[in-house]
Amino acid sequence: MTSVLQVLFDALSLGSLYALGALGIALIFGVMRLVNFAQGDYIAFCIFALIYPTTEAVTILTLGAAPAILLIPLVLAIGAGVSMLSEVVVFRRLRNANPAAMMIVSFALGFVIQNVLLVFYSSRPKSLSILPDLSRQVEVMGARLPLLQIVTILATMVILLALTAFLRRTRFGLEMRAAAEDFTMARMLGVRANRVILLAFAISGMLAGAIGLVLVVQTGTADITMGLSVMLVAFIATVIGGLGSLSGAVVAGFLIGGASVVMQVILPLEARPFRDAFVYALVIVVLILRPQGLFALRSARQRV
Amino acid sequence: MTQAPSVFARTIATPILLIALIAVLAVAAWAFGSGTLQRTAVEMLIRVVLVVGLSIFIGNSGIISFGHIGFMCLGAYAAAWFTIPPMLKQLSLRGLPDVILLNQFPFWPSAFAAALLPALFALILGPVLMRLAGIAASIATFAMLAVINTVYSNWSSVTGGTSSIVGIPIRTDIWLALGAAAGAIAVGWLYSISRSGLALRAARDEAIAAQASGVDIERERLIAFVLSAFVCGVAGVLYAHFLGIVTPDAFFLGATFVALSMLVVGGMGSLSGAVLGVVVISLIIQALRSLEKGVTFGETTLALPGGSQEIAIGIVMIVILIARPAGLMGNREFGWPRAADPAPKTQATKRA
Amino acid sequence: MKTRKLSLMAGAAICLMALPASAQDIVVGFATGQSGFMQAYDEPATQAALMRIEEINASGGLLGRQISTIFSDTKSDRAEGAKAGLEVIEGGADLVVVSCDYDFGAPAALMAESNAKVSFFLCAESVRAGIQGVGPHSFSASVLAAVQGATMAEWANAELGATEFYVLEDTWTEYNKGICDGFDWRAPQIEGVSIVGRDTFVNDDASIAAQITRINALPEAPDAIMLCSMMPGAVSAIKQIRDAGITAPILNGSGVDGSYWMNAVPGLSDFYIPVQGSIYGDDPDPAVEAFNVTFEETYGARPSSQYVYPGYVMIDVWAKAVERAGTTESAAVVAELEKMTDEPTLFGPRTFTSELHHQNQARYHIVKVSDGTPAVVGSWTIAEPVPMDALLQ
Repeated sequence: MTSVLQVLFDALSLGSLYALGALGIALIFGVMRLVNFAQGDYIAFCIFALIYPTTEAVTILTLGAAPAILLIPLVLAIGAGVSMLSEVVVFRRLRNANPAAMMIVSFALGFVIQNVLLVFYSSRPKSLSILPDLSRQVEVMGARLPLLQIVTILATMVILLALTAFLRRTRFGLEMRAAAEDFTMARMLGVRANRVILLAFAISGMLAGAIGLVLVVQTGTADITMGLSVMLVAFIATVIGGLGSLSGAVVAGFLIGGASVVMQVILPLEARPFRDAFVYALVIVVLILRPQGLFALRSARQRV
Repeated sequence: MTQAPSVFARTIATPILLIALIAVLAVAAWAFGSGTLQRTAVEMLIRVVLVVGLSIFIGNSGIISFGHIGFMCLGAYAAAWFTIPPMLKQLSLRGLPDVILLNQFPFWPSAFAAALLPALFALILGPVLMRLAGIAASIATFAMLAVINTVYSNWSSVTGGTSSIVGIPIRTDIWLALGAAAGAIAVGWLYSISRSGLALRAARDEAIAAQASGVDIERERLIAFVLSAFVCGVAGVLYAHFLGIVTPDAFFLGATFVALSMLVVGGMGSLSGAVLGVVVISLIIQALRSLEKGVTFGETTLALPGGSQEIAIGIVMIVILIARPAGLMGNREFGWPRAADPAPKTQATKRA
Repeated sequence: MKTRKLSLMAGAAICLMALPASAQDIVVGFATGQSGFMQAYDEPATQAALMRIEEINASGGLLGRQISTIFSDTKSDRAEGAKAGLEVIEGGADLVVVSCDYDFGAPAALMAESNAKVSFFLCAESVRAGIQGVGPHSFSASVLAAVQGATMAEWANAELGATEFYVLEDTWTEYNKGICDGFDWRAPQIEGVSIVGRDTFVNDDASIAAQITRINALPEAPDAIMLCSMMPGAVSAIKQIRDAGITAPILNGSGVDGSYWMNAVPGLSDFYIPVQGSIYGDDPDPAVEAFNVTFEETYGARPSSQYVYPGYVMIDVWAKAVERAGTTESAAVVAELEKMTDEPTLFGPRTFTSELHHQNQARYHIVKVSDGTPAVVGSWTIAEPVPMDALLQ
């Protein structure tokens, strides 16, 4: 029983990371049909901004030494900042481009961010202890859990609830949902496109910052490709969830996290190195069965 | 479809000009370049094969595929299996079937068979994948790449796992690469004017209308998918016989994005775009690298700091796509100057 | 900040170009990663190699000639690596030094091999970095990963009394698998030792919670956990294991040597690794500490891990072979290298044979980390060399 509970928590905490990432991607995709591959590099950027730029092996914290109450808003602000900056400097100039061109631009932007970090920090991973209190263990119904797992799960829930409330209750939220459903129509009805898009970038940048924090507290390590694996899964979750559907993206994020943990538990040892192959094969199966995603928006269907 | 001969005559200029372009570059590198520059030229020609292979599927179907580097991987490993001396194979690839393990096959049949393997794989997986459209298809192809990569990284007895396998005879020189690139361009062009290619582009631009006119989209997509898998497989074979070494992570995300970037920067709707994208990006990278190594002006040597080449090429790509969102070529093809059509959109829209 | 950084790099670039090769010089060509991913791993060993070259030049050179150096950047890319190899060969290199990692170094090494030049991997630890994966002119300056796994198996059994091991393997690279291969070869041969469980993960897994749950589900805690991993995933794994309250000793290969990462796991204890020499100021051989001090004087910082040392060993053994052969001609140098049996170096004896251009047995110091402080607690040489079968899986 306790082990089932443990697996459930393992799945939920990994799923939370993927869900946060998928949400960030889905938000931007919803308003401008951009699959933003630079999102993973925002994650690394947020964390490296806390470290003194040196190519030596030793890590010197600058902003990272701030107390939690300052540190968390700071990282979120950095994430929002870099994300909004990339919209203003780069993506705004591509409003009429096709999705493929935008996608390649986002990849090129991520490549630039990554190589800038590489020049200033080297490829050597940086070790840092941020918010060490979260590494403690707590006992929940007989299962020993790292406090971080619980905090991650709770924080994800809070973020999701807050975002839902924001999207439902505020004017901005209404505009954003309208834009996600049908961007052209929303614009015609008076939605201020650039503001909505900028806001979507700000929120997804903050989500990137949150993911960065969780990763760095969990692993104690920052390296320039740290955001990549989470963002790839998040990207897939966005599609499986049904493009444009924010709740679908979140649910799919949790499902992939769960599938990955469950595979790790049930696969025999010889097959475990092939875990990701099974997870991705499952992705193909889901896509074949539900090409529009698990929670397709009605508007996403093809119209004749 | 009685117009086919005239399509042939109208578009033959494209492959001729493209082949002439890469041939001029190759001969120039051969005649004037150092050993390292010649290698750069060979790399560029292999990329031409790869990106033309990509464009056979992506350009005609409009579906962005993240999976084609997987086909390159299959081709490269198959070439390695067939041509590594049996003594070496028995050391590191003991899980191969005896007929491959104990023999070394000659280059040409082995290369052909190695390129057929990804085509066969595409033929088996394609009927399932080709039912998907748009971004779902893209993700499914990415999942295919991830599966191939995970399997090749861990099936140690057959692929050597994450480690490089060596002992592949070096056969790819500048002329073989040039021949292959020219062949790929010819295949790409012939497909684009074939009945299937025209039908597929019609479906890309107006799916519903094409279906109503009797185009079996899944079937045409499958044909393009298999053909492009073969061409990408050829690129893999050339790569294996060029470096003499293969490893799974050379065929993953990095290579995928480099190839896609070249295609999109060139213009993903056209064959000319595919070739031009490779040539332009390769030339810019080469220029930046020589700047990084240092340029001497009289007494002083000016050099860009290490790593600035990667940053610069990223920025260059962003700038090109901001200036020309449809890529350098858009949907147009190179043609004889006089034959330029006053409203050159795509072949498909012209026909419709 | 940015301008300072750029001027520093420009300075470094000028330094590298400041050693013009005269026709009389013996040339060492570095086809290594001078930018990109491999730069952080190739640079320290390159610096140590340059120190040894400097020493040799100061004491009259090699065969009465000075050693000069040329560099070509692989940009941490395989295809560029082959070009870098070709470039240093065209520049007249007598010895081609290639990247630390087998996968990244092999293209340049193969290029050297096809030109019949002696090549050395800076610190690759796969058996393929040598005859098996490149050819008869290729060597590696480090010790096989399998030796590290076997060393930890023997030592943990003898000194910690560990009999029940748990194996956690990171399948990301051949280096990681090599450590576990060595462990799996040696551990079952030791009387009373059993492997009570094993699991795998991948270096960039965001979380290894599921793997930890499996360790916690064992009826009894294992005596030691053999972790076969490398940076950065190893740190992440160690942190998550300790955070989960598992206190069993953790063993790993040399890949995580260095104290720079330990602030990620505050108060880390009972963590053990093998090293070729100690960077912590407590090496049993005072000459190693003297090296560390000179290194700091030359480059402004102490070695960050033991992976500095193979670069020094590399030039040392190669120069001795050239001296004995009386020429830099490849076949003669290779023959002299293959005659070396327990050749003393600053970082332990080295042996090369016509079958293996790598170390399948080596003296290791064992470093123990207690409360975040690493220190040497003993030395160990495995009873017999790791056989070729175990090296090739």
